Amino acid sequence: MSDKSINLTLKIWRQKNANEIGHFETHPVKDISTDMSFLEMFDLLNLHIIKAGGVPIAFDSDCREGICGMCSMTINGNPHGPDRETATCQLHMRRFSDGDTIVVEPFRAKAFPVLKDLCTDRSSLDRMIAAGGFVSVNTGSAQDGNALPVPKQDSDLAMDAAACIGCGACVAACKNASAMLFVSAKVSHLGLLPQGAVEKERRVLNMVAQMDKEKFGSCTNTGACEAACPKAIKMENIARMNRGFFSASLTRR
Amino acid sequence: MLKLDSKIPGGPLEQKWETHKFQMKLVNPANKRKYSVIVVGTGLAGASASASLAELGYEVKTFTIHDSPRRAHSIAAQGGINAAKNYTNDGDSVYRLFYDTIKGGDFRAREANVYRLAEVSNSIIDQCVAQGVPFARDYGGLLDNRSFGGSQVSRTFYARGQTGQQLLIGAYQAMMRQVGLGTIKLFNRREMLDLVTVDGAARGIITRNLVTGAIESHVADAVILATGGYGNVFFLSTNAKACNGTAVWKAYKKGAGFGNPCFTQIHPTCIPVSGHYQSKLTLMSESLRNDGRVWVPKKVGETRPPAEIPEEDRDYYLERVYPSFGNLAPRDVSSRQAKFACDAGRGVGQSKMAVYLDFKDAIKRLGKAKIEERYGNLFQMYEKITDENPYEVPMRIFPAVHYTMGGLWVDYNLMSTVPGLHVLGEANFSDHGANRLGASALMQGLADGYFVIPYTIGDYLVGNKLPKIDASHEAFRAAEAEAKARTQKLLSIKGSQTVDEMHMKLGKLMWDHVGMSRNEAGLKKALIEIPKLRDQFWQDIRIPGEGMELNQELEKAGRVADFLELGELMAHDALHRTESCGGHFREESQTEDNEAKRDDENFAYAGVWEYKGQGKAPELNKEQLVFERIHLATRSYK
Amino acid sequence: MASTGFFSSSIGKKYLIGLTAIFISLFVFTHMLGNMLLFVSPEVYNGYSHKLLTNPLIVLIELFFLALFLTHVLYTIKTTLENKEARGQRFTITTSGAKAVTFSSKTMIYHGALIFVFLVLHLLTFKYGQIYEATYNGVVMRDLHRLVIEVFQIPSYVVWYVIAVFLLGLHLHHGVQSIFQTLGFNQPRYTPAIRKIGLTYAWVVAIGYMFQPLYVFFFYQQ
Repeated sequence: MSDKSINLTLKIWRQKNANEIGHFETHPVKDISTDMSFLEMFDLLNLHIIKAGGVPIAFDSDCREGICGMCSMTINGNPHGPDRETATCQLHMRRFSDGDTIVVEPFRAKAFPVLKDLCTDRSSLDRMIAAGGFVSVNTGSAQDGNALPVPKQDSDLAMDAAACIGCGACVAACKNASAMLFVSAKVSHLGLLPQGAVEKERRVLNMVAQMDKEKFGSCTNTGACEAACPKAIKMENIARMNRGFFSASLTRR
Repeated sequence: MLKLDSKIPGGPLEQKWETHKFQMKLVNPANKRKYSVIVVGTGLAGASASASLAELGYEVKTFTIHDSPRRAHSIAAQGGINAAKNYTNDGDSVYRLFYDTIKGGDFRAREANVYRLAEVSNSIIDQCVAQGVPFARDYGGLLDNRSFGGSQVSRTFYARGQTGQQLLIGAYQAMMRQVGLGTIKLFNRREMLDLVTVDGAARGIITRNLVTGAIESHVADAVILATGGYGNVFFLSTNAKACNGTAVWKAYKKGAGFGNPCFTQIHPTCIPVSGHYQSKLTLMSESLRNDGRVWVPKKVGETRPPAEIPEEDRDYYLERVYPSFGNLAPRDVSSRQAKFACDAGRGVGQSKMAVYLDFKDAIKRLGKAKIEERYGNLFQMYEKITDENPYEVPMRIFPAVHYTMGGLWVDYNLMSTVPGLHVLGEANFSDHGANRLGASALMQGLADGYFVIPYTIGDYLVGNKLPKIDASHEAFRAAEAEAKARTQKLLSIKGSQTVDEMHMKLGKLMWDHVGMSRNEAGLKKALIEIPKLRDQFWQDIRIPGEGMELNQELEKAGRVADFLELGELMAHDALHRTESCGGHFREESQTEDNEAKRDDENFAYAGVWEYKGQGKAPELNKEQLVFERIHLATRSYK
Repeated sequence: MASTGFFSSSIGKKYLIGLTAIFISLFVFTHMLGNMLLFVSPEVYNGYSHKLLTNPLIVLIELFFLALFLTHVLYTIKTTLENKEARGQRFTITTSGAKAVTFSSKTMIYHGALIFVFLVLHLLTFKYGQIYEATYNGVVMRDLHRLVIEVFQIPSYVVWYVIAVFLLGLHLHHGVQSIFQTLGFNQPRYTPAIRKIGLTYAWVVAIGYMFQPLYVFFFYQQ
């Protein structure tokens, strides 16, 4: 814990709505406690803006503990800021130095249209889940939870992939705005478990088809997604999905 | 006077739900699609209900305030979910889970509901496993369990420190499957602004499209609120920023009774407050208390760093006061003891408003690797926030508002006093009485959504002939006009204070007077101060921007305006309940060793408040709690 | 939902690029080895090319490689355009620090394009360039050796060639390991090895190609 405070200059993307063209706006912010989170620094900035008669900066956030995936912000070109395995809400100001200039942009991508300032519409991710990111089991039809043993390794790998918070940082970080890491995390999570393996071919075909329909880019294996992922989802999942997609394409009727 | 018919079925406790399921009317499969249901909220309760109802064939419209239904705050639950599977062979049973929950709730919950909850708990685990929830497993491939506060058996299923996330994703995926199939119509970034009743029955809602600002009407045959708790009335809580009480509050004003509003849970293990602009508190899973030992220095005004304080100068107060439960004492008890220690000047850290949670012994016993495996992500989170390494320095923790046991009153069918308005999950008052046990919130949310509402809503729908209406009905027109007028009014004030500033003021009032311990003078003060603050709000609030656009200040303002009314009701309830029970601690009612003193003779009831109109005092109704099975006893964890 | 055909899906297109890349990578390696015959003798060098050119299947093989190259090039152009469209408005700053990506991975299309230009010129210079003849043991064959020696006396050509094969190294630097990832080989147990092999392969090829022009320019004496 420290009592240090710093002064920063922020260059923030402002855009009134989806249809208008945006621009950068510069705001100096003074006396930022280094114990603040990046979002609390935005709260403070907005307080000053409102007091000065301006319109505050719209930004998404909710749980502020790194699990809901609502917060976004591309900070100096890095989705969720400079640290690995960290969501913007968990980024603290002690990470920055006095006098820094920070450029803040939304999670840009064609499939994530900007709604206002730093808020984007990420419902394309939901539509990909709706296309196949589930196990087709109706309520009430389940057998006993222990009826089907799952090797611990599979279960752990599934959990690694299931840790995805659906924030879209992978898409923002990717020069191609590809959603492969997101989709592959779901394909892996469910495909690795015996419960989800039943429909894994159908799942991967449908989810990839929807992904293409949403106009996400394709993967060129740069690894930007993995580096930006706040939950350390691995590119291994993408390879797994590629294999699965290939074999599903071969065997589908 | 509200008509509080709890509709508890007859017969022995063990057979009530079975009997009731048989007695309820069924909707013919072909007719289900003729009924439409609105579900507000997509947390565990809302998502599971939406999915289950759509699977049955109902026409479902689901609303979420977020950009995606997966963001609902159930996602943040860390520790686990209880079920009476007894996979660990340590003596668990449905009855024991039922008993622990009633006792944990300090005997202020309805027996029949809690029994049903314990009964369906096992099906929840089965359902979640089938959906692909990656619960922790051992090398044999079977499910692993851990222990949790308030219980002496290991019955908690978990998925690392992200159980809530995994359960929610399971429910969300089930729901999105139905969205894909076209049986659910999903409305995201919509906030419910009002409930619409026609001929006394809930027939729809008014929403604001948070992107365009448009005020919209949605009509259905029944409405389900699964909108979570109202802990954010305290400003600082472990709740997410968007958590609010608006939906339940609007329902209350339309005639739904509000049950036990003062029952709030203060969670013992949160990261302490560190600055004025702190926006929320972060919870550290209670599971940490499995291996961490809670202590404070014995000496008042201790200045040595923790490592230099020798064993004999440490007070492991939970182990001392509650030898049999020790660090696993229930939440309310643990929180209160932390408060006592800090009030006595033995708190630690800069603010002196914290206690230590020490893993030194556990690391010595199990090795760092084991601790890392169990709590790695929590330790990492702690370090990120505080810049201290908990493997070396004990964590500092302090209680924070976490959950609200109070909520809209519902009967055994989860229907409120407004016909057709059903309330699920944290939004209802139901199953946790005056205190919720750890790992039970997830259980209740999913029980309500997967296994209760799909049965009970059919009974309501066939049992009531509802007129065919659409959004042009005058009730909808009036409610829309009212919502628009309120938005306009908020925007037109153009005062000097921001919504957050007002909210912080309310939060401080609530924390000081309606917080962890309450007394008559404080509550009376709150009842004077809150209305004053509310007047200030309506005269001096400043909301920039316009109504017909994405306007986050406007969103927050509407919620805080409702909190300013809800907070007052909480104070009313806390004032009238002169006993101490569970999370509600009245300083006037305590034993010699500062334990809560319950008053079963006068308060063995759910206090259900009824809205009587603007500026009028709310009226108290009582649902007497009848304990057929459980003998009311003093809750002791010693 | 009907899924589209494999090769029109984003993953299928990448598969095609990866599969063609396997052959191209192997081709550039063997070509590089063939170049090394320059260090043996003009006779061996010319004999090797003669053997290739007189192989009855050569036309088929050339057509096969032409198809491979064109597929690789057309599909990368196609996906690059689609990716650009998917990106929409670009960021003002790109990722950096712990979130940076390798230079080679984000510039594939650019060195790829230059390599393609090089390839065309390379064919014009050598395959379709000046034809000299030489006779060994009574067999008349093309004296490619002489042409190579002549061309690599020109400083600008040497510089351009060295730059081009350096770009090829850069392309393979990301490309070789990327083939494995695209085709679905990624596992913590062997992926670090793949990565090392890929990098070694890339730079062995690139440096191998540099030997010939640099040797000729600096050390070769008629």
